[in-house]
Amino acid sequence: MSCVVFRSVVLVILLWCPVVAFAADTVCVECHSGQPGALGEPVAAWRSSVHAAKGISCHDCHGGDPTNFALAMSPERGFIGAPEYDAVPAFCGRCHVGVLDAYLPGMHGQALDAGGAQCVICHGSHSVQKAGLELINENDCSRCHDYDRALEIKESLTGVDTRIKAMDHDLERLHRLGFATDSLASGLFNLRNQFHRIFHGVDVERVRQESGGVQTELDQLASAVEVIDDTLAQRKLWGSIVIALFVLAGVVLVLVRKTYEEEEQG
Amino acid sequence: MQPVKWLVDFIDVRLGVREIYASELKGYLLPPKVNVWYTLGAVLIALFKLQIITGILLLMFYVPDAEKAFASIQYIMNEVPYGWLFRMLHAVGANVIVIALLLHMLSVLFMAGYKGRREFTWLSGFIIFNLTMGLCLTGYLLPWSQLSFWATTVATDAAGAIPVAGEFLVEFLRGGATVGNQTLGRFFALHVVGMPLLLLGLIAVHLFCVKRRGVSSPPFGKEYRASEPQPFFEYEKHQGGIPFFPNYVVKDAAVICFFIAFLLAIIFYAPGMFFPESAFQPADPFLTPPHIKPEWYFLWAYQTLKIFPSEIIGLGVQGLFMTFLALLPFIDCGPERRPAQRPLFMTCYVLGILGFVAISIWGHYS
Amino acid sequence: MDPNAPLPLQRRKFLMTLLAGLGALIGAASAWPVFRFLSPATAGSGSDQVLIPRGDVASGKAHFFQHRGKPAVLLQVAPGQFVAMSAVCTHLGCVVAWQETAGEFLCPCHGGRFSAEGQVLSGPPPKPLESIAVELDGDQLRVG
Repeated sequence: MSCVVFRSVVLVILLWCPVVAFAADTVCVECHSGQPGALGEPVAAWRSSVHAAKGISCHDCHGGDPTNFALAMSPERGFIGAPEYDAVPAFCGRCHVGVLDAYLPGMHGQALDAGGAQCVICHGSHSVQKAGLELINENDCSRCHDYDRALEIKESLTGVDTRIKAMDHDLERLHRLGFATDSLASGLFNLRNQFHRIFHGVDVERVRQESGGVQTELDQLASAVEVIDDTLAQRKLWGSIVIALFVLAGVVLVLVRKTYEEEEQG
Repeated sequence: MQPVKWLVDFIDVRLGVREIYASELKGYLLPPKVNVWYTLGAVLIALFKLQIITGILLLMFYVPDAEKAFASIQYIMNEVPYGWLFRMLHAVGANVIVIALLLHMLSVLFMAGYKGRREFTWLSGFIIFNLTMGLCLTGYLLPWSQLSFWATTVATDAAGAIPVAGEFLVEFLRGGATVGNQTLGRFFALHVVGMPLLLLGLIAVHLFCVKRRGVSSPPFGKEYRASEPQPFFEYEKHQGGIPFFPNYVVKDAAVICFFIAFLLAIIFYAPGMFFPESAFQPADPFLTPPHIKPEWYFLWAYQTLKIFPSEIIGLGVQGLFMTFLALLPFIDCGPERRPAQRPLFMTCYVLGILGFVAISIWGHYS
Repeated sequence: MDPNAPLPLQRRKFLMTLLAGLGALIGAASAWPVFRFLSPATAGSGSDQVLIPRGDVASGKAHFFQHRGKPAVLLQVAPGQFVAMSAVCTHLGCVVAWQETAGEFLCPCHGGRFSAEGQVLSGPPPKPLESIAVELDGDQLRVG
C-alpha cells in the first residue's frame, strides 16, 4: 500500500516538476508554438500573462496530458478544449471560486444567457494580466452599455484600490530589506481578493458597504507598516551617528598622523 | 602612571616586551615615501576580524539544515536584537573585503611591489584572494534563499564542462546529484571552520613574507633607483624611515575607520545594494527564478563562460588567466618598477581593469 | 599640558584625548548591540500560569512540565488531590526522578531523596523542593 502511495507521489512530482520548473516545456507548448494563426497565437499571449508567471499552464485550464504527445488532447485525460461563450464563467470559476459566486447574481451574470459580459470580455483570455482598475474604462465598457454606471463603480473602488496598491508596494519594499512580511502580505492578498470579488457583482451600493470594512483592515496593516518604518528610521538615525563617529575618528587620526609627519620632516 | 609602569615592568622582566617593542614596532621602519595604499593590508585584517566576530555571533542562531536555514536567517533578521545588524555587517562586509582586496592587489601591481624577490609574498596573497572568493561562494549558499540555491547550482554546474571528470566533479562538489542538504553541510563546514583556519594560516605566512623581506619602497620620485636583486637573502632596510608604531599605525587606523564608515553607510543608506529580490525568497529546487546572476565579483567569470562557444574553452581561458596572475612575479621579473618605465605592463594593466569592468557590466545586463 | 613642549606634541596630546573620547563612544556603540544580541530572551521563557489537562496526571504518577522556564512536576498524591513543585534538586540543580513504587523523588546525581510533598528525606539537599500552587479548574489544572 505504502509503495503505491510512494509511487503516485513520485509520479505526481515528476508530472509537476517540468511544468512548474520549466513551464515552457509541456507538449502543448511544443506543438502549438509552431502553429500558425489561432492555434499558435495563444502560446505567445500566455507567455506574458499572469498565469504563466504563476506557473499556470495550458492543461491547468484546458485539461489533457501535458507530458504525452499522443494523449495530450484526449478526453480520457481530461481534455476540455475551448469552452462555449456561456460556459466561460464556470470554466474560470473552477479556480476563481469566490469571484464566480459574486459574479453570477450580479447584473453581468444574470444577463449571461442574453450575451452578458463574462470573464474574458473584460480580462481577455490567454494574455490575462493581474486585474486592476484600468480594466474599467470607457473604451471597453461602452462596447456594451453606457459608461456612466461603470464610472460610478470605478470611483467607488478607486480609494480602496489605490490604498491596496500602495500597501502592496510598501510590503514589497520592506521585504526587500529582510523584514518578515509574509503574514502581512497574505493578509493583504486576502483583502485584495475579497474586495475584488465583491466588485464582480457590479453593484455600487454593495461596494460602498464593504469598503468600510476593508478600510479598517487596511488601517491595521498600515499601522503595522508604520511600526516597521519607525524602527527603520530609528536605525538610520543611530547608524548615521555611528558613521559620523567613525568618520570623525578617521579625521582625528589623519591629524595625528600629520603631527608625526611634521616630526619626521624635522 | 605608576601602576601602568609597574605592570609593564612585571611583564617585561618575564617576556622582554620592551625589546620587542623597540625592534618590531618602534624600530620597524617603513620607507620614508610610504603612501596611503600601504594601509590596505591593515584594513583587510580589520575587516577579516569583523567577519570572524559577526560570523561567530551569527553561528549562535544559524541552523545549517535545508529545512531550517532560511527560517533561522529570518529569525536573526527579525527577532534577535541587533541580529539584522550583524547579518548585514557580515554579508555587506564580505563585499567590502572583496573591494579592499582588489584595491590592495591593484596597488601592488601598479607599484610592482611583487618585484625584488617578493614572489612568495605575492603568491601567498594570491592564494588568500582565491580563498576569500571560496569563502564568499560557500557563504552565499548558507541563507538557503532562491539566490543562494540557484547561484550555487550554476556555479557548481560550471565544473561540468571539464572533460571526462566533469560530471563526477559536479556531483562531488555538491555531494549529490543536485544542490541539497549535503551541499549545505559541506559548504557550511568549509565556510565556518575549514577555510577560515586556512585563511588565518595564509595571512600569517603572508605577513611573515612581508616582514622578513622588508616592505618595498614606492617606485616614485627622483631618489628611486631600480636595483638588481642580490643572489642572496637580504632584508630591505629603510634607514631614516617612518616607525611603524606609532607613526604609521595611526594612518592604518584612519583608513580602517573610513572603510568601516563606508560599510556602515551601505548598511544604513543602501541596504538593498547587494541583495536582489531572490535573496529573500526561500530556496525552491523546482522553480528557477528569472535573471539569476552571480555576485558582482563573479560576473566576469560568469560572462566569460558565456562568451566562448564552449564552456570548456571559457574555463580554460579563466584558468590560464588566473595561473598567469599567480605566476606574474616569475614572468615579469625585470628590475624596473616605475610605472612610466613599464609601458607594456601599464597598457595591459589599464586594459585589464577596463576589460574586467566591461565584462562585468556586460554580464550584469546580458 | 606642558606649554613648553614642541607644537606638534601639544597638538597630538589634544587630538589623542579627543580620540580616546571617540573611541569610548565607538566602543560603547559596538558593545551594546553585542550585549543585546547575547542577552537571554525575555519573552517566551514560560508564563507564570500553566494549564494542564487533568487527564495527563494519573493517580500516583508524576507529570513533568516547564514552569517559568524551569522543570517542574505535578503529582496526583491521592485521587483528586494534586501537588506541584519545582523538579530542580536543591542540592546542585539536577532534575529529580519520580519513584512510583517508593512514592518519593530520587535525585540521580547524589542520591538525595524527597517525599511526595517535596520534603527532604535523606541525602545532601539542604532545602525541600520549592512548591507551586495548584488549582483544579474543571478539566484543567491551573498551576502557578
